[in-house]
Amino acid sequence: MSIIEIKDLNKTYHVHQKKEGLWGSLTGLFRREYKEVCAVKDLNLQVEQGEFVAFLGPNGAGKTTTLKLLSGVINPTSGSVNVMGYVPWERKNEYRRRFALVMGQKNQLWWDLPARESFRLHQQIYQIDNKEFNYTLTELSDLLQIGKLLDQPVRELSLGERMKMELTAALLHSPEILFLDEPTIGLDVIAQHNIQNFLKYYQKERKITILLTSHYMKDIAALCQRVVVIAQGQLKYDGSLGEIIDQFSSTKEITLSLDTNDQPTGLEDLGEVLEVNLPRVKLRVQRNKVAACISRIMDLYTVEDITVEELPLEEVIANVFAHMSQPSDTDKPNEEIVSSR
Amino acid sequence: MYWLKRYLNIWFAFLRNSLVRDMSFRNNFWLELIAASSWVVMNLGFYILVYQHTEEIGQGSGWHFPEFLCFLATTTLITSVVQAFFMPNAQEFSELIRTGGLDFVLLKPIDTQFLVSFRKVSWSSLGNFVFALGLLGYSVWKMTTAETDPLVLSPIICLLYPLFVLLGIVMMYSLMMILAATSIWLGRNQTLYDFWFYITNFSRYPKEIYSGAWGLPLQYLFLFVVPILLVVNVPARMLAAPFRHQENPGLWYVEWYLPIFMVGAAVVSLSLSRAIFQWALRSYRSSSS
Amino acid sequence: MSNTVVATTISHTIGHRFKVWWMIFKISLEERLAYRGDFALGTLMRFLPIVTQIFLWGAIFSAGMTEEGKLFGYSYTDMVAYYLLTMLARAFSSMPGLATGIAAEIRSGEIKKYLIQPVDLLGYLFLRRIAHKVAYYAIALLPFAFVFFLCRGYFSSFPDLLTFGAFLASLVMGFLIGYYLEACIGLVGFWFLEVGSLLFIYMLLSFFLSGHMFPLDILPTSVKTVIELLPLKYLAYYPPAIFLGKIQGWALVYGLLIEAVWLLFFVVLSRVMFHFGVKRYSGFGG
Ligand SMILES: Nc1ncnc2c1ncn2[C@@H]1O[C@H](COP(=O)(O)OP(=O)(O)OP(=O)(O)O)[C@@H](O)[C@H]1O
Ligand SMILES: [Mg+2]
Repeated sequence: MSIIEIKDLNKTYHVHQKKEGLWGSLTGLFRREYKEVCAVKDLNLQVEQGEFVAFLGPNGAGKTTTLKLLSGVINPTSGSVNVMGYVPWERKNEYRRRFALVMGQKNQLWWDLPARESFRLHQQIYQIDNKEFNYTLTELSDLLQIGKLLDQPVRELSLGERMKMELTAALLHSPEILFLDEPTIGLDVIAQHNIQNFLKYYQKERKITILLTSHYMKDIAALCQRVVVIAQGQLKYDGSLGEIIDQFSSTKEITLSLDTNDQPTGLEDLGEVLEVNLPRVKLRVQRNKVAACISRIMDLYTVEDITVEELPLEEVIANVFAHMSQPSDTDKPNEEIVSSR
Repeated sequence: MYWLKRYLNIWFAFLRNSLVRDMSFRNNFWLELIAASSWVVMNLGFYILVYQHTEEIGQGSGWHFPEFLCFLATTTLITSVVQAFFMPNAQEFSELIRTGGLDFVLLKPIDTQFLVSFRKVSWSSLGNFVFALGLLGYSVWKMTTAETDPLVLSPIICLLYPLFVLLGIVMMYSLMMILAATSIWLGRNQTLYDFWFYITNFSRYPKEIYSGAWGLPLQYLFLFVVPILLVVNVPARMLAAPFRHQENPGLWYVEWYLPIFMVGAAVVSLSLSRAIFQWALRSYRSSSS
Repeated sequence: MSNTVVATTISHTIGHRFKVWWMIFKISLEERLAYRGDFALGTLMRFLPIVTQIFLWGAIFSAGMTEEGKLFGYSYTDMVAYYLLTMLARAFSSMPGLATGIAAEIRSGEIKKYLIQPVDLLGYLFLRRIAHKVAYYAIALLPFAFVFFLCRGYFSSFPDLLTFGAFLASLVMGFLIGYYLEACIGLVGFWFLEVGSLLFIYMLLSFFLSGHMFPLDILPTSVKTVIELLPLKYLAYYPPAIFLGKIQGWALVYGLLIEAVWLLFFVVLSRVMFHFGVKRYSGFGG
């Protein structure tokens, strides 16, 4: 029995369409056109206890919507979800005590009060007993190094510091499942790194299950063994990060430093020429032809230096997305004007 | 009883947090206090003016000056409690809907309606509560020491009055929750606050003023369909003019039918507000980011 | 710069300006119409408070110590007519959200966009306000006409044309005074960040002392003379008083003149406040 089971999950939003111009607004007073947006479409997914899963997908893919459905904030249009034996949108107190959701773009702490006060409130709401509360808070504030900031009003904290507070608030009740929606959005490299380290350590230590969405590939490379790619509300790929790279980066980049400043000839036969900036030359070559290519280069030119690189992860993912969004013939466009009222 | 203690604890935490916050904007707190109480004082001034030229509001209604002060005091008691405890939350609720902040409320292992409606407290509105108590004391003193036909307070009335004030508050709360819940459907709802103001405006006057061919239907509408006219009228009348202008004491139920009806109305409106709130939550769609 | 260039830029800017004005006006109107639920409800709601007022005065008159059926110089029908006309006056002079909007923009720093872009804040908001009002009148016209038709019995006589002209003039000036007065209050935000309570006090004063809650004539004479010196009365009391013939002859002429002076005062004040406010604001570095 998996800890999270999603079956044929669908979520459709009705959004009303405003027509162009003044006349449009006037007629809009009487009738309005609605559009249906399928944010999540026939999603099937299982997650095992202790996994650290990343959701990848372009903007508007439906990642946040999926996390909201899993945490019971919104009700689905159809389909079923079972998390630890609960149906999320029934919002049973027992269920809500066992998971946490952190959203990078939103904050849930009292803006004008020190974070400590918000934590106390959490203690009451989640019924955490004093000893455990103090222990957890000390542990978390040591790990995240926020001890000194606890008594400062939240509005005076920096973005990174606030994110740490949000994480602390979410972990105070020791949830078994953690949903993280872009937890590192807007943070600088160091703060991102801090949070990654913390999450890695915490997940190892507690063996909790974490679902994370992020647009920073570093997050995902550092944390997740399993990657789920969603585009247009549909699951497009489910597997390890390594497999994705194998599958979608069929090429490597070779950079040469040539000896001469003369225009070399015959480069086109070796592979795709990306850049010629003598004496440097950049080529893109099929993965399985790299070795052959290098030996030919050695034959043809005098080379001072040579490097072979994988495509940057960002680019691989861009490839994945580009590939995903090409509509296959079974895909319908996910928006259509359906009704007017 | 365990859950009661737990919810009370949480509520105390809300009270505390709000106080800490109010105190960190102290100047604003005092300004708000002054602003809120000057409203009440000006309103009082208006009626003092009116009573210089009339003896009674509504011929034969029994609302002479001291009685009417009692009515005003009751109005103020109820409004100040509503403004202190529920108004800030109802206003914030629309905001929570608009920004999607309700997400976090829904995650908490606690009753959502409780969390939504008690989170914030505006302490400055409680100044009026104190003022209203003073006004109430004055009017009771005036009524009990009147030369003709002085008021005799029975212990039962002294007990029932606060109880019915509480019921009035419950009814106002229910109405507010119902209105707030509609903002889930309407998305942004600026006029929510106006609507609340206009509807409760009807509750702030003695029901006797709605008389005549147009008035009576209105009176019945606001007594029995949208029963906000009960909110102030029943407790105020109970204390100030305990039905003593009516002749036949044998027909006690004629006098008591409104209070009894009010108990039922309070229960029904509270349950209704809860049902509507739960129903509305199901169409909550969060915000897209 | 040569003269011809100046001339063309001027004619260009004037034509351009009209275009910009028209755009702002149109967009504001559209924005207004986008929230139809709000709008329809809001318009109807406005008629509710007056209903209780009418009944309240009915009750007061029923037991009042009246001379010839009059209280404070008003008969019951006059009183009802007064409240109906106040509604109309308020429909012109009330500016919901204006001051709070300005103050909020100052606090959040959004005001910067008016300093960076070539638009004038007061002019821009003025156009938006007119658009809002136009949208409002367009929809409220029917209910208003209906209510006034139902209540035609309360208007004992229609004033002569001259008085009616004065009435219209006072309505329009009421709109202008309302706009500039509230803009000034919003601009106070340059000096005090929290204008919320100040605004509340203003609303309170204007509710009681503008004649919105009751005709100013019920105040004791000494108080009334003081209150009459304030510009608040133009927001609600003045137009109905003119219509009902409470102010006549030279008093009316002087009254309107003083109103115009007040209007000028607030226009200048708002400009001055904006000028110095911006200076102060940019002095702080925003
Ligand atoms: N409350 C809402 N009302 C209407 N449409 C919505 C709402 N929330 C999301 N959507 C739509 O559903 C789709 C999926 O949105 P979602 O927020 O899940 O995307 P996402 O994958 O999280 O994107 P991002 O990476 O930009 O955060 C989008 O097309 C969005 O416009
Ligand atoms: Mg998202």
